[in-house]
Amino acid sequence: MNKTYWKGVEELQNDAKFVQLKNNEFAEHLPLDEIVQEKSADITVSPRRDFLKFLGFSVAAASLAACEAPIRKTIPYLNRPEQVTPGASNWYASSYHDGYDYCAVLVKTREGRPIKVEGNTSSSVTKGGTNARIQASVLSLYDNARLRTPIANGAPVSWENMDREIAMKLQSVASANGKIRILSSTIISPSTLKVIEEFGKKYPNTKHVVYDAVSCSAMKAANKESFGVDEIPSYNFDKAEVIAAFDCDFLINWISPIEYSRQYAETRKLDSGKKTMSKHVQFESALSLTGSNADERYHVKPSMQGAVLANLYNAIASKAGATTVNAGSVGELAKAISMLADDLWTNKGKSLVVCGINNTAVQNLVNGINSLLENYGTTIDLDNHCHLRQGNDADMALLMDEMSKGEVGALLISNCNPVYTSPMGKQFGDAIKKVTCSISFADRADETAAACQYICPDHHPLESWNDAEPKLGKYSLTQPTIAPLFSTRQFAESLLMWAGSGSNYHDFIAQHWNANVLKGKSWNEVLQEGIFEGEQGASKSYKSAANLTAAADAAGRMNVAGVEMTLYEKTGVGSGVQANNPWLQELPDPVSKITWDNYLSVAPKDARDNSWKQGNIVEVKANGVSMKMPVVVQPGQMPGTCSVAVGYGRKGAGKVADGVGVNAYPFMTMVDGQLMAAAGGVQISKTVEDDVLLATTQSHHTMMGRAIVKETTLDEFVKDPTAGNERDLISVKVGKEEKKMNAQELNLWNSFEDGNHHFGMSIDLNSCIGCGTCVVACTAENNVPVVGKEEVTRSREMHWIRIDRYFSSDADPKEHESGDIKAMEIPSDNPKVVFQPVMCQHCAHAPCETVCPVIATSHSSEGMNQMIYNRCVGTRYCANNCPYKVRRFNWFRYTDNPKFDFNMNNDLGKMVLNPDVVVRARGVMEKCSLCVQRLQEGKLVAKKQGRKVKDGEINTACAQACPTQAITFGDYKDKESKLNKMWEPNGRSYHLLEELDVQPNVFYQTKVRNVKAEAHHEMSEEKKG
Amino acid sequence: MTNAYLHKSIKRLLLLSLSIAFSAGVACAQDGEALFNNNCKTCHSPFEKVVGPALKGVEGRHSEDWLLKWIHNAPAMIKSGDAEAVKLYNDNGKQQMTVFTNLKEGEIKAILTYLKDVKPPVTSVAAKTDGEEGQEEGSNAWIYLIVAAIVLYLISGVLRRTQETLAHAVRKRQGIPDPAPMGRWEGFVHWARNNKKLFAVILIVLFMFGSVKAWYGLLSIGVTQGYKPEQPIKYSHKLHAGDMKISCIYCHSGAERGKTAGVPSLNVCMNCHKFVKQGPTGEKTEIAKIYKALDYDPDKGTYGSNPKPIQWARVHNLPDLAYFNHSQHFVVGKIECQTCHGPVQDSMTVAYQYSKLTMGWCIDCHRRTPVQMTSNAYYNDYHKTLLAKYGSDSLLTVERIGGTECARCHY
Repeated sequence: MNKTYWKGVEELQNDAKFVQLKNNEFAEHLPLDEIVQEKSADITVSPRRDFLKFLGFSVAAASLAACEAPIRKTIPYLNRPEQVTPGASNWYASSYHDGYDYCAVLVKTREGRPIKVEGNTSSSVTKGGTNARIQASVLSLYDNARLRTPIANGAPVSWENMDREIAMKLQSVASANGKIRILSSTIISPSTLKVIEEFGKKYPNTKHVVYDAVSCSAMKAANKESFGVDEIPSYNFDKAEVIAAFDCDFLINWISPIEYSRQYAETRKLDSGKKTMSKHVQFESALSLTGSNADERYHVKPSMQGAVLANLYNAIASKAGATTVNAGSVGELAKAISMLADDLWTNKGKSLVVCGINNTAVQNLVNGINSLLENYGTTIDLDNHCHLRQGNDADMALLMDEMSKGEVGALLISNCNPVYTSPMGKQFGDAIKKVTCSISFADRADETAAACQYICPDHHPLESWNDAEPKLGKYSLTQPTIAPLFSTRQFAESLLMWAGSGSNYHDFIAQHWNANVLKGKSWNEVLQEGIFEGEQGASKSYKSAANLTAAADAAGRMNVAGVEMTLYEKTGVGSGVQANNPWLQELPDPVSKITWDNYLSVAPKDARDNSWKQGNIVEVKANGVSMKMPVVVQPGQMPGTCSVAVGYGRKGAGKVADGVGVNAYPFMTMVDGQLMAAAGGVQISKTVEDDVLLATTQSHHTMMGRAIVKETTLDEFVKDPTAGNERDLISVKVGKEEKKMNAQELNLWNSFEDGNHHFGMSIDLNSCIGCGTCVVACTAENNVPVVGKEEVTRSREMHWIRIDRYFSSDADPKEHESGDIKAMEIPSDNPKVVFQPVMCQHCAHAPCETVCPVIATSHSSEGMNQMIYNRCVGTRYCANNCPYKVRRFNWFRYTDNPKFDFNMNNDLGKMVLNPDVVVRARGVMEKCSLCVQRLQEGKLVAKKQGRKVKDGEINTACAQACPTQAITFGDYKDKESKLNKMWEPNGRSYHLLEELDVQPNVFYQTKVRNVKAEAHHEMSEEKKG
Repeated sequence: MTNAYLHKSIKRLLLLSLSIAFSAGVACAQDGEALFNNNCKTCHSPFEKVVGPALKGVEGRHSEDWLLKWIHNAPAMIKSGDAEAVKLYNDNGKQQMTVFTNLKEGEIKAILTYLKDVKPPVTSVAAKTDGEEGQEEGSNAWIYLIVAAIVLYLISGVLRRTQETLAHAVRKRQGIPDPAPMGRWEGFVHWARNNKKLFAVILIVLFMFGSVKAWYGLLSIGVTQGYKPEQPIKYSHKLHAGDMKISCIYCHSGAERGKTAGVPSLNVCMNCHKFVKQGPTGEKTEIAKIYKALDYDPDKGTYGSNPKPIQWARVHNLPDLAYFNHSQHFVVGKIECQTCHGPVQDSMTVAYQYSKLTMGWCIDCHRRTPVQMTSNAYYNDYHKTLLAKYGSDSLLTVERIGGTECARCHY
């Protein structure tokens, strides 16, 4: 496998600006003017004198300030809660659901405030995994944009007055027999659903409308047609040996991504014992994260997916002896479809076809295929169904109709924001005005809440009592981990109050659980565990009874002419629920590596044809909506299509999110009564507006074209476990002979003696899906500051861990040796993608340590490369000498600085800081510490109990957060540790840039793709031709 | 023989003294005081309500017979429905009095006699604090120094005059005219020229003295050893940890469990001070500050709704950049609190920073102190490795297990 990787189109094209940036990573001059707070002109007049003045003054000030010890107060509790020990953390089992993401979590609190969220390993649904949004949820708790009090007609009121007024209004609506509508996103809490039922008893004319911003309602409709089951099934990706996904981003966004990504990764783990893995084929137009991980990826326009699925159905039906349907031509994809059909058919019952298109006909075809493949009962479980994404587009359309006719007397909107997320948002906003009593339960005055008369702000999930049933029979509890910060009240509590029920919501849940869920088990025990899982019913086999001929015809009719657009959700901002979270805004998109923005992704071919350049502002017209946004040239985007992320362009979400990007929801199309995240007939025209600089993290930290991601195919791996992991040998002259030697043999350095531990880490590139959860987890754990868009454009992002994304091509190795990157230029229309998390590699022979003039970075006897901030004087020699470019310099003071108005600039946001990790000052270098605070804590616990540290007991934040367990942390000194077993130098294990012999304590496992080597080669040949 | 005689005489003496004691009321009351302190003081005080009511004048409120019965077995009386007993029970927050069937009638009477005669203690004038005394001593020393300096100056002046007069007389006799008087500076230069070696030595000594002073002066910047801030409550560690022998961990329980030893929350104070309402000298104002902070009414024993936390001045301030964990040192390292905090129980009436708390101070200790390895299974294999490396009779200090590495404390 001689592949060439490049980090972006700029590198591929050797763009002049890119080369300049690459050679000059820290291009900026010292920001003296900002330090001195004077105009730069003045500095040039008398810099020396001023310098001396400042020097003299600061020395005098420093010594004066140091002479007097300021009095610091210490204020003990009046009555210390029994379980709180100042300086020690408490953990509470809870669950997080915001209508979009679900995760069973453990919440770490210090002195009564939550500071970190981790996955709860007791849950069989999420299995201890998290995603970026779950990790960031703790910061959303401390969001300054949250409402402090209830608001009635724009003015703050007390809850008593609010309750009185609303009770009166509801009464008058009810007595006039007016319609009462509760509009919410998916509610997976059985108790909340029961509360809504109770409310309905008091006000009989109530209907609950469920609306999801990103809808899966066609799946329910199709399952009803096909099998008579109006549910979303549970998927078992772990049982699938062949996975075919059609416009389905199941690894980060689709229905229950934390669950699926773990299952998916389990099928792709390899070691010396297990040498089989699943095969994943993706059909899509925009390069999604899931598509990036696929073994084979094919370009299909959204409107052609119906035809492709019909062809796949026919191919399988002919094998199964079933009747075929009418299927349109799919051109050159026919071969791929027949290959896929072969694979699926040979793995009958162990395969899975999933589709993210919200269209009943298409979903019926998918059901037909899965039914022929006998996947129901094995990889698909329709009996123990999933409760996520219950939104019903038809109900929502009906509600809009009722509202605009003025029939709705009272509208209660909980946890959804249709004015922003619905393509009919504007009309919805107008229709709210016709409702007699409109109540929003939003936690902030968002787009929809601002249009409502009353806002009864809801608790954050970390302040609430609640329960969840994400899948049938799989329960979890939510318990508050902090007293409500503001005068807020839970949605369910408000409903109970208005329904005239005496009990509070906590008692209501306990009562409901004792009566219906627990079956005699103790409430307190379950609360401590956070999880209650009863026995699952059998998963039965289903046969599709839908009219597939009609479905195929309907799916075929979807085909439209012209440029097509898909709308997708990013791993960070997602559907936009937590858009005001700066951690998520600063998380680079895994594929484009762009932060703080959304944009129009176009294919490189289209960009060439239309002479669009990255950063050009274009006007995009579709669906009768027109918007201006920047262009991003995205390899992997299908020519003739484009894509935009939703969740941006907020108005009223808060300081962080407002005005970032554009709102792409209005591009959603209503097709056959379902909301499709796609649009056809898109017109793109370049405007004369100035180009914008997109804040990307991809054009720097270059590895100078060296192959740092090692990769092979499954066939080759089975033949030889070291396939793709060939050692880089160094030519040395020994006497007159030229010898090829291993870098380790040429070692100049003394080796380090180990202490009681030798910590290290393994990263399995085959399991890593590039989702960025680790990045946010690290940010939360280590008080990593947010620097904002402008600083990211200057390559000054502070993340201690980054995920490098490399596009590959099948260039000729000879051209590679010639060293000319341009010679390797091949069409990059559909490249393979690899992700590689890179943090400090904790080298035993660290190049950074030898160049520090003040020994601010040194080696520990436990294998870590230590960084001592209080000793650092900021020469940045270490960063320049680091081959991995993992060191970050604090260019500014990021706390209490209005120029960086994020969470560290206000007291509320600062509550999220981890008190065990120092907040770094301006002018010092920082980097991954291997979560040394966790290591120290873990060791201390073992010492206090007088025992050895158990393997797996200590974990770094990134490893713990990873939904696919791609990162393994451990102790090399523990012979039985998982880490030691994973170190297979004669297998897939390798060190990054081994030839430098810096001997990192972090190692990687080669990426293996499940493609047939010949087929792979053949395909690339075709492309060249 | 002698022994038996001795025994007898002791018995006689005892009998004699007992009879004297019983015959004298004062002695009886003293006996009553001891009995009161042993049996009643936990819940009663003569002059104020604790759990039970104030007992001064109790003989006037109830008949002696009733009191005898009540003290013997109060719950039984309440149960029997005695109106007086039930009323008393209800008036005192339905707190049942302990049964004292072990007390004899005579003993109860002795207690009652003591209560009759007991006089309220006179609040003594607050004693001067150590700090003030120290200051006074300091000012005395200064006066002596100044006086000595003046005397020396006068003597040197007289001596110079004498020398000048003598020199003048000698010159006059020899007929040499007096040299022109020199200015001070000229005189100094003249002297320095004539005494070059001495001048150089003085200069070098002065320079060295100055350098050393400056060096230590600079090193002491930010070092707050001896820092003794004024506290909102004049709490004495000497009294609590020394005289009363309360374990440090009773109040600073965090030292066992976590990073900080912690300042005790006020509910910990109230474990004792619900009953102990005055200091050993009868002083009450400081304890009253706890009640005020908790909005607690000591007479009624009830808590109000307006508590305000006490803002102590922090004595030990480590910079944020250093991570220090108490439990690591106290539980794992088995270091005594006094090692760093000084003789808290012996002399700290006001808490102060005993140690330097500088990094050098930490490191010094880490270089000296052996790790408690033998009793801790965490170190099992490592201990063997270290013994093989350093020799079985060597001291395995914290430094030798990497305890002076930067990231053990700085992260």
